[in-house]
Amino acid sequence: MRIDYKKELEAAAKSMILVHEPDVLIKMIVRNIVQKVKVRHSGILLHNKDKDTYVLTVSGGSSGTKIPAGFARMDSDNPLIKLFKEEKNSRILKDGALVYKAARKLLKRNHSRISKRLIEGALYQMEIFDAVACVPSYFRDDLLGILLLGRKNNGRQLAKGELNFFVALASDVAMAIRNAQLFTELELELSKNKKLFLHTTVALAAAIDAKDHYTHGHTARVTDLSLQIARSMHRNKPQVINEKFLEDLHIASLLHDIGKIGVPEPILNKEGPLNESERAKMQEHPVVGSAILSPIRELKEAIAGVKYHHERYDGSGYPEGLKGSEIPLVASIISVADSFDAMTTDRPYRKALAKEEAMKEVQLQKGRQFSPETVEALTELYEAKLI
Amino acid sequence: MARLLIVDDEADVREFAANFFRRRKLDVTTAASGEEALEIFERDKADLVLLDIKMPGIDGIETLKRIKSINKDAKVIMVTGRKPDDDESSLKCSELGAADYIHKPLELDELEKIVMGQLQAVRKE
Repeated sequence: MRIDYKKELEAAAKSMILVHEPDVLIKMIVRNIVQKVKVRHSGILLHNKDKDTYVLTVSGGSSGTKIPAGFARMDSDNPLIKLFKEEKNSRILKDGALVYKAARKLLKRNHSRISKRLIEGALYQMEIFDAVACVPSYFRDDLLGILLLGRKNNGRQLAKGELNFFVALASDVAMAIRNAQLFTELELELSKNKKLFLHTTVALAAAIDAKDHYTHGHTARVTDLSLQIARSMHRNKPQVINEKFLEDLHIASLLHDIGKIGVPEPILNKEGPLNESERAKMQEHPVVGSAILSPIRELKEAIAGVKYHHERYDGSGYPEGLKGSEIPLVASIISVADSFDAMTTDRPYRKALAKEEAMKEVQLQKGRQFSPETVEALTELYEAKLI
Repeated sequence: MARLLIVDDEADVREFAANFFRRRKLDVTTAASGEEALEIFERDKADLVLLDIKMPGIDGIETLKRIKSINKDAKVIMVTGRKPDDDESSLKCSELGAADYIHKPLELDELEKIVMGQLQAVRKE
């Protein structure tokens, strides 16, 4: 049966789009080669950047003929590697592949001595690896890998069409490997940036805690509790509480009191109730916080959490007197976590309440100060002894 | 014909290496474990043993020790998948009298050279 190489190539290209891990992809390709083109064995040597060596990473064929993956390598001074690197444009590789028989013929004709020695060395490598053809994969000028092809099962030569197929495949594979590498690098970079950002946020949050003597550790506790509440709400709202939501909540709860940077320390640390003007100053902190963060456009949702964490479900909160579902969920969660932590820690003007007492107070404020669903989530955590 | 005994728990490695050296006109036997290797070595002898270190059961280093106790002049090349900077294992093998110590992935022409070189030395002795 003849194989429609164009179709095979299209199928391979399609799988390359779907598969992000080059290892999986290459394994699929080698398996296909062995099955469809019916060669005795096939393998791919891939460049290992750290050691500057080419390792036989994937192989196929029956036991005894296939070279076991991870068993063999070619260093960069190997004549076959050198040939592919240095003689990329020479006649011997004019069809994009090194074919043993054709190369032997060419050897008999004119060649400078160095290149003759190099070709002989490369052909010897092919003998050792039992390969009748080698197809290099380049990305720009970098040799990313080499596809080794063993003899065909039926003893025939590889046809021109078959070789062209492998050459096209090899360049597609190179592209796919390169893409996958870039993808991994990008992900790595992204997670590094994310970490950097989160750590910066934690440092900022610590700055607020340092200023406010009585709330030591408050930010960290509110953050933990907020995330716990959100996770327990996930069951009922899997669409809303997704990864992005948790990220926003994490940032918002870390920064919910950042606006206190603008509140004078004597007010912040006053022992005893605040007078009216002091209270007004204190109540500015959500708006000040959101103003501080507003240039960071990526933080839009988190900023809303900072701005509205003193709103109340019944509309009697500040700064805008939002009501019920007008209050963003991030803010509602922080609100109940913030109050619960405030009640259960000592304050300049009163002692801490026991958790049980605080829970009673929170229950009392269900549908008044706090949204019912966040109170239910907190109650669930309390009853499960998770807080 | 020089006799080579290849010891590796991976069938693919065993078969490939056996074919590789049979094409170079060697009389090759294979063993899938240290235990099997010792049995074969005691019965048939071998001019050279290619011995994988990491194997279930008795590992390559222990096998080397026992081969040496059967015949202290036995020539054994140790094969490891360990990183080249793991000196401890290499030191141990050389103390036990291994003829060489090579790392996977291997350069096949190097492997060929090392094995053929050791066998030539055997013949001269």
